[in-house]
Amino acid sequence: MSWFEFVLQQLITGLTNGLIIALVALGYTMVYGIIELINFAHGDLVMLGAFLALTLIGACHLEGSPWLGLGLMLIAVPVFCAAVNWTVDRVAYRPIRHAPKLTALVSAIGVSFIFMNIGLFWGGAPMAVFGGGAAAASPKDVPDLIGHTNLLGSGSLVQITVKDALVALVTIPLMVALTWFVRRTRIGTAMRATAQNPMAARLMGIDVDRVIGATFIIGGALAGMAAVVQSLYYNTISFQMGYRIGLDAFTAAVLGGIGNLPGAVLGSIVIGLVRAFSDGYGATQWTNALVFLVLILVLVFRPSGILGAHVREKV
Amino acid sequence: MTAVLAVHDLTLRFGGLTAVNAVGFSVEPGQIVAVIGPNGAGKTSLFNAITGIHPPTSGRILIDGRDVAAPYSILAALRWLGVGVATACAAVLAIELLPLWDVAIERLYEYRKPFPWGSAVPAAWDLLTSRAERKTVALTALVSLAVGAFGAWSVWIRSRRVPERVARAGIARTFQNIRLFRELSALDNVLVGMDAHLTSRSWHAVLRLPRHRKESATTRALALEILTTVGLGPDAHLTAGSLPYGHQRRLEIARALASRPKLLLLDEPAAGMNPVEAVALVALIRGIRDSGVTVLLIEHHMRVVMGISDRIVVLHYGNKIAEGTPEQIRADPKVIEAYLGAEGA
Amino acid sequence: MAIERRTLAWVLALVAAALLLPAIEYGIHRLPLWPWLMKWTYVAPLMPAIFAFMIVSLGLNIVTGFTGLLNLGAAAFVAIGAYTYSILTCEIYPFRLGWVLDEVIAGGRPSAHATWLTFVLGTMAAAGMGALVGAALSLPTMRLRGDYLAIVTLGFCEIVQDLLKNLDPITKGTTGINPVPHPPNLPALAAASEGSSAFIQHATGIYLYYRDATPHYLLYLLLMLGVAMLCRNLRRSRIGRSWVAVREDELAARSSGLDTARIKLSAFSWGAALCATGGALIAALVGTSIDPAYYDFQLSIIVLCAVIVGGMGSIGGVILGALVMFGFNGIVLVRLSDALAGSHTDGNVLTTPNNWKFLVYGLALVLVMRFKPEGLLPAREVRAEMRPPRQAPTVPP
Repeated sequence: MSWFEFVLQQLITGLTNGLIIALVALGYTMVYGIIELINFAHGDLVMLGAFLALTLIGACHLEGSPWLGLGLMLIAVPVFCAAVNWTVDRVAYRPIRHAPKLTALVSAIGVSFIFMNIGLFWGGAPMAVFGGGAAAASPKDVPDLIGHTNLLGSGSLVQITVKDALVALVTIPLMVALTWFVRRTRIGTAMRATAQNPMAARLMGIDVDRVIGATFIIGGALAGMAAVVQSLYYNTISFQMGYRIGLDAFTAAVLGGIGNLPGAVLGSIVIGLVRAFSDGYGATQWTNALVFLVLILVLVFRPSGILGAHVREKV
Repeated sequence: MTAVLAVHDLTLRFGGLTAVNAVGFSVEPGQIVAVIGPNGAGKTSLFNAITGIHPPTSGRILIDGRDVAAPYSILAALRWLGVGVATACAAVLAIELLPLWDVAIERLYEYRKPFPWGSAVPAAWDLLTSRAERKTVALTALVSLAVGAFGAWSVWIRSRRVPERVARAGIARTFQNIRLFRELSALDNVLVGMDAHLTSRSWHAVLRLPRHRKESATTRALALEILTTVGLGPDAHLTAGSLPYGHQRRLEIARALASRPKLLLLDEPAAGMNPVEAVALVALIRGIRDSGVTVLLIEHHMRVVMGISDRIVVLHYGNKIAEGTPEQIRADPKVIEAYLGAEGA
Repeated sequence: MAIERRTLAWVLALVAAALLLPAIEYGIHRLPLWPWLMKWTYVAPLMPAIFAFMIVSLGLNIVTGFTGLLNLGAAAFVAIGAYTYSILTCEIYPFRLGWVLDEVIAGGRPSAHATWLTFVLGTMAAAGMGALVGAALSLPTMRLRGDYLAIVTLGFCEIVQDLLKNLDPITKGTTGINPVPHPPNLPALAAASEGSSAFIQHATGIYLYYRDATPHYLLYLLLMLGVAMLCRNLRRSRIGRSWVAVREDELAARSSGLDTARIKLSAFSWGAALCATGGALIAALVGTSIDPAYYDFQLSIIVLCAVIVGGMGSIGGVILGALVMFGFNGIVLVRLSDALAGSHTDGNVLTTPNNWKFLVYGLALVLVMRFKPEGLLPAREVRAEMRPPRQAPTVPP
């Protein structure tokens, strides 16, 4: 493989990974933008969605009909995740809306732990896809539903597989739809207004609680999509996968400027590329550290993130 | 006599908005000067510019004739160089950590035998200057020296006018929206105000050295005295956040006085006060002036302003439109127009 | 310093109970009671680890509780403390702090228990290293807003973990460094502990974790109390006031002449030093630096929860919070697993107590934040008890 092909391959891998992270990062940044909450449970929500996806594959025997299965999962899992997310907000975060931010943060950590434990128990379910109920804590394999044929032909060294195409086909339209939604619909505008100034939004007649609920629903749906894509792309899930995904997504959101939607996508792509190139050049053991080094360097020179707005304190 | 505060051509711009436009005035020692103007005139922005919270876009601020910004000096340059050297050492150590460990420690150590410390340093030095490593070492050292020194310089540049420097130069202020340390007691708030004059370090506190206890007792007595001056003696141990509004305003003044300032900036001290409280406030401000502190205040309460000011500066949309004694200002047509609108409009 | 009589009484009573716990348990076990009761009332050997974690929590309390800087990477400093102590005292490295003296005293025979010199020097070195690294971390993060600082501290924890894993020659990678000398024994207690350990094993067949731990009980308890007093002295001093001032209103603090950069740096230094001390104590207790995977985000979060659930900024609250959070893992789950160890092990995920750990933690966090967000023992409440009754405000003459 020539140097050029190598770099191209890393670019493709990095972009694909970045797009998956972006779906999760968007959910993070939307919730943060509107209630200034670092939703630690978001990554674990993706994990729960992935477990549901695997359950559906097992229960409905979707190995036989991959595209039908894909469609089913892309509907069922986001609905599930959206519902869970909305419920958690209603039960855990809404009652403490007026408390200091740290309170909601610890609450989110608690929810994250609860999700993790549910994932652990789920992994012990007596289903064939879960390994029959033994070894609940170990990672589960996801059947390779869509295969990994190289779209550039089997002779090409550079690979753009069906999986990469799936990622792009799911994530890019979603991001476009989200941008349209946030800019053009009433609820989207209400979200942006509430994110900028909740008090003023309330005075304008916006039902802030409903808007926040809608934000959680959308964030949850995005997490659900990410869960499906993630499990089909990497073919493995585990009850602890939420941590890594959540961390990457949160880092991406901060990198791009938290609260900023294009920033979240930009940050995710940067992180995806850093990971791909670091792994590609064989420095896998340092990849995590490298991602954070990039973050720290960016924050030293731009404390609000790449696209973040510098918030002036009113004196 | 040098003016306590001299502002020359001060401009403060936020993107497209010019909050303060080429304002200039001076405050003589022992005076009470008021800055007035309709809302949005730029009065608080002026205070923020003077105290370093939003450094001015252009113009000069002189305290006792000296520029408040930190001056360039050899000492500062040496400090940047020092930071650069430290960064260089750290970077070289980081890059060469494993080879150094191998050569200087691992190879020389025999299990449980005494270690030849004397040969560790020469071994390390030999490694760093060896043919294989010396290019990497030199490059790393030079680059990180530059990065470290540049970083220290840029941090220094940005911090020449920070609020803490201005405060230590002798200017103290209160805020339009009260900014007390709500969880601390009133006494503690005043003690924090006094912080610039304290010398004890954390070690002294931990070890409870007699020197620390003596300073602690003296400063507490002093702080209590200041609280009594503003009439908050009985409230000393109450949490600042639990005090009534009028007391909180006075506590903020007490905290500002604790730093023994030359100039006290009061941002709308009479806001929200009833006539009785306002009278008490006027007496307090006069008392402060009489004790040797010059006062510059922003105020909307016209009675208070006219009653105690020696001079008044009037701002309108960021420009200074008038300056003079209360009588002059009262009669000034530009001021009347700014507040009430033009005749026949 | 005026302490309210009631608070002082409580503190003294608790300290007395803590001091006497091993003796009380030893006494209980001489009574002819049911074995299952005796299984549960042998908490003392598990306590030293919890005391060490209380010290860690007090360290985080300085950074997050007093100064309000959200630190999600406390485990990194614990790791640094543990590894510093291990590297400086383990005999596979040349440093071997204090061994020279030990060899002179013990005639060159190495023992598993360090001398006082080794232990003290090692712990102090760990604290110093922690302070240094804490200061270094605070330098580039000075200007960062709260949540950004949080993610950077989180990243720092990851970086430290990776460093410890990858710098094999120095840190021995994923196996950790061992053997690390245990803390010195207090002879009288050693004899008592040996006796009661044997008695327990004979009566109940239970193998006790940290079998040698009871002699360290007193030492660690005293260390924890010492650190608590240190924190109290810091809080009531100039630097403690500055920390809280920065937390309450940084802008007002700067306008009052406080050098907030230096104050934040000192908060990080002190906090990291205490976390590192706790780490060194843990390493000494278990005789190994523990593999780097242990010092992960989860540990950081549990320490953070100990601080917040206990009551941010309140020393007594943080100690209680650490007892609750670490005690659940280190005492309740351990004893539960012991209790179920005899019964059928069908591997069902739902019947292993350890598998419920996260659920219980999570529910506890959500419920405490919902119903008592200021923490179990908040600082203000203590202050409220110390407040004299309010007098009517007087208008000054």
